Amino acid sequence: MKAQNTVLETQNLAKSFRSAGREFELFKSLNLSVKAGETVAIVGKSGAGKSTLLSLLAGLDVPTSGSISLDGQRLDTLDDATRAKLRSEQIAFIFQSFHLLPELDAQANVALPLEIRNEPNAMHKAAEWLTKVGLGERLDHTPAQLSGGEQQRVAIARAFAGEPKVLFADEPTGNLDEETGNQIVEQLFAFNEQQGTTLILITHDPELAARCQRRILLANGTLEER
Amino acid sequence: MNPVVLKLAQRQLWAQLRTVEWRALVLATWLAITLTTFLALLSDRLEQGLLRESASVLGADLVLRSSRPLDDQRTVDAQQAGLNTTTVIQFPTMVGAEDNLVLSSARIVSAPYPLRGEIVTEPAQQTDVPSPGQAWVEPRILEQLQVNVGDRIQFGYVDLEVSARLLTSPDRGSGFRSLSPHVLVNQQDLEASGVLAPGSRAEFRLLMSGEPDQIAAFEKQLQPSLQQHERILSLTSDQPVTGNALGNGMSYLRLSALTALLLSALTIMLALRRFSNGQQTRSALLMSLGLQPREVIRLYLWQLVIAAAIISAVGTACGILFERIADYWIADLLPQALPQAHWWSYLSGAGLGFAMLILLGLPPTLEQARVPVAQLLRGEELNGQTGSGRSLYAISLALLGATILLFLQAPLAAFLLLLALALCGVLFGWVAQQLLHWLARPLAAHMTLGRLLKIRLSQQRRWHRLQSAVVVLLLTLLSVVWVSRQDLIEEWQAQFPEDVPNYFVINIQDWQKPGLDEFLEQRQIETELYPMIRGRLTELNDAPIRPQLNEEQLQDNSLRRELNLTWRDTMPGHNQLLSGQWWDENSTEPEISIERDMLEDLGLKLGDKLGFDVGGQPVSGTITSIREVQWESFRPNFYVIFSRAALENYPATWITSFKLADDERVAATDLLREFPSLTLIDIDQLLEQLAGWLERLADSSAMVLGLTLACGLILIAVTLLQALEQRRFEAALLQTLGSTSRQTQRLDLLEFALLGAVCGALAAASAELILAALHQNLLRVDVRLHPELWLSLPPLAVLLFVGIGFALRSPLRIEQCYHILRSKN
Repeated sequence: MKAQNTVLETQNLAKSFRSAGREFELFKSLNLSVKAGETVAIVGKSGAGKSTLLSLLAGLDVPTSGSISLDGQRLDTLDDATRAKLRSEQIAFIFQSFHLLPELDAQANVALPLEIRNEPNAMHKAAEWLTKVGLGERLDHTPAQLSGGEQQRVAIARAFAGEPKVLFADEPTGNLDEETGNQIVEQLFAFNEQQGTTLILITHDPELAARCQRRILLANGTLEER
Repeated sequence: MNPVVLKLAQRQLWAQLRTVEWRALVLATWLAITLTTFLALLSDRLEQGLLRESASVLGADLVLRSSRPLDDQRTVDAQQAGLNTTTVIQFPTMVGAEDNLVLSSARIVSAPYPLRGEIVTEPAQQTDVPSPGQAWVEPRILEQLQVNVGDRIQFGYVDLEVSARLLTSPDRGSGFRSLSPHVLVNQQDLEASGVLAPGSRAEFRLLMSGEPDQIAAFEKQLQPSLQQHERILSLTSDQPVTGNALGNGMSYLRLSALTALLLSALTIMLALRRFSNGQQTRSALLMSLGLQPREVIRLYLWQLVIAAAIISAVGTACGILFERIADYWIADLLPQALPQAHWWSYLSGAGLGFAMLILLGLPPTLEQARVPVAQLLRGEELNGQTGSGRSLYAISLALLGATILLFLQAPLAAFLLLLALALCGVLFGWVAQQLLHWLARPLAAHMTLGRLLKIRLSQQRRWHRLQSAVVVLLLTLLSVVWVSRQDLIEEWQAQFPEDVPNYFVINIQDWQKPGLDEFLEQRQIETELYPMIRGRLTELNDAPIRPQLNEEQLQDNSLRRELNLTWRDTMPGHNQLLSGQWWDENSTEPEISIERDMLEDLGLKLGDKLGFDVGGQPVSGTITSIREVQWESFRPNFYVIFSRAALENYPATWITSFKLADDERVAATDLLREFPSLTLIDIDQLLEQLAGWLERLADSSAMVLGLTLACGLILIAVTLLQALEQRRFEAALLQTLGSTSRQTQRLDLLEFALLGAVCGALAAASAELILAALHQNLLRVDVRLHPELWLSLPPLAVLLFVGIGFALRSPLRIEQCYHILRSKN
């Protein structure tokens, strides 16, 4: 029963780099298990390896050793193409700098991941989600015509439109003022609850971390549940 | 100066040489310097040797040139004005030895000769000119006749002893005759040789030398009395020897270098722009550490100066090497060894290189000093140019443009070419972009990232326009040179039917005609003799013609020189009657049949009456027919043919042409043996000489074009580089969102392939157009399509774009994607 509930699991995860002829070990035995629908904040100092951990969990990077499973499927043994397919179907991202394509309008930006996985009605679905985040009137606006908060809402629409199993958010309020940041967080958690998505969030912000069900500190190569 | 600045400049340069933009900049500058040095050296040497009208090349301070025998009074006048004089007659003639015949340019001279400069012979001679009974002969003739110094050659009716090899000599004459191999003969042998009869085609020159003021005074005195067939050449008259084939070739080469220089300049500008955008944080940092803004300017200027110095040295060396190769290449075509180039020619490439780097580098350098230090704190990049920055760019570009035009020595022609290139470039760029857009639509509908392809095309449209303009222009130029080199000469020769004459005989006198007729008949050589009478067109419908014509018509060649007239009973078989009627054989009326182009150019019509001045006598006739003439038929052709009644009684020389098969060529030798005073012209030899030059010219221009292509490729690389970061970011995001690296790669591949296919097809189309124009207007051969262009150019252009694109685009590993995205936070 437990196995069915667990959506993301790592066992003895290790990652090291070679740099200037020397081996740097970022972490050597991380064990983490996230259940479906959970919200998890990963906190830690700069350089602790939070982003690397996120890359590994999202299948964007391969571990030096150990295993990562998404929904029971080993990520670390898949080839690039299969991982890409998995990412497009089950994983979504929200970035600190929003990362919308400047030449696409809001609707096309939201439709992009749907189009990558050849989903019909991508544009229609994109319009629906933009309406949900409150930008129904701004479908044809390009990122340059939108404020920072609006751009992040487009990014939220893009993330949820694909109905992902797991949503990774990397400092989603880092580039926003406090008030806008709060609105974004409200929206993010509301949709997350509504969709039953698993949320893994990287942040420095203790307040934001406190909103998650679990808080995990990454320090000195180990994970510590808070 | 702060010594740190110089040291920093050196270090910076070494470190930055590893960046793609600096490599492109170095390559572009190097190519520009190499090309400039090469062309400057070659043209300097050719001009000194053959073209420039210096006293030592003219052989005199002042030359009077005439197409008719000189009036003795001219010589008397010159001598009365205190000048030294001598006369020269130059004409084409065949010289022979045993069964070999060579087409040469004969110069009939008498001492003193030359009046300026000197003749170099081997062995060295004590006299100014060959003694009577002897000849000085250029090595090329000796080789082809297989004779040596001491042997005898046939020159008309006389046999001359070759007493020396003629190595270099001034006063070679102008145009193609200056390039033919020369033979120098004493004036006393002329009459006995019989090669020059009244009415023969020759150039008569009066050479004069003296004190500068005497020369100037006499030139002034001569000027108003000049006849239509006379021309003055002097050092002060700044009219260059026009129509000089080699001179035209050289300016053509120089002009073809314009494209390369333009591309290099563009490359350097873009590379520096990218470089300077990337340096702003560094400049801000240096200033925050205490460097003064003007020291920052010095720092970057030093970096440019050091780079320019190193590239100049290497580029100049390569230019010299290329020039040596070219020299070796054309040596066998040149009548004499070329003199050394002036020292400044060695520096011209380096000079232009410095001008390019400094002028183009100045605006971005000055911008560095204006970077606010606060930028370090805000962490954002200054983008976009300020108004003053833009005007600085404009001034720099204008200065550079002026420098390049100056270097090309034909500012007007270069400017027009620049304009034409710019217009074609804009047109090609626009058409290419439209085609891309049109092609992408159906493709985009059928692929996963179709929308992105369309977006990519519109996002990159500015670069695509520039890239396709450059590639289409280059491929067009290359194809035209390649195809014309390959088949224009061949096609041109191949179009002549088997029986096209390969020998012309001119200067046949009345008394020689019966004997010649018999000679030809005996050997069953089919031919026809035409009388030739020179006359000038003076009247139209019984009134002077000039006031009846407009400006353009007055410039027509038929009014500027004497025409060769003839008379006949029947129309020449190789002409075609267009309108009117050929006269009756027994017609006693003076009638005229006129060539169509002349009729149209002068605005004449059937029924008009034309009056000519033939040796001072008026001759007139009425136009009763219009003919089409095939000028390339290598048969005697005439603009104006009279009926027998009009011209029969005027003194004429005769002209004919005939075909000798390879195994009958001995007949030509026999002919000259029997009629040594005839001028026999071997058309095959003439064509061979001409083809030799054309081929070398095409080879040299292919070399220049090769360098141009290299410049173009570097420019393409730099333009692709400008958008590389944007492409990388886009690929990183797409891969993070779930596309595979193969998909993003395919997107790039498709973009480059489409661009290449469109450019290739456009280039093939424009090359076909140009080739068709060349075929039809210049060579008058049938226009044909070149499927090989359509088959080769599109794949070539695709390969080019995909090759450069993928060389620059290192494939993005998925692990890098997230780092790229995060680095943008």
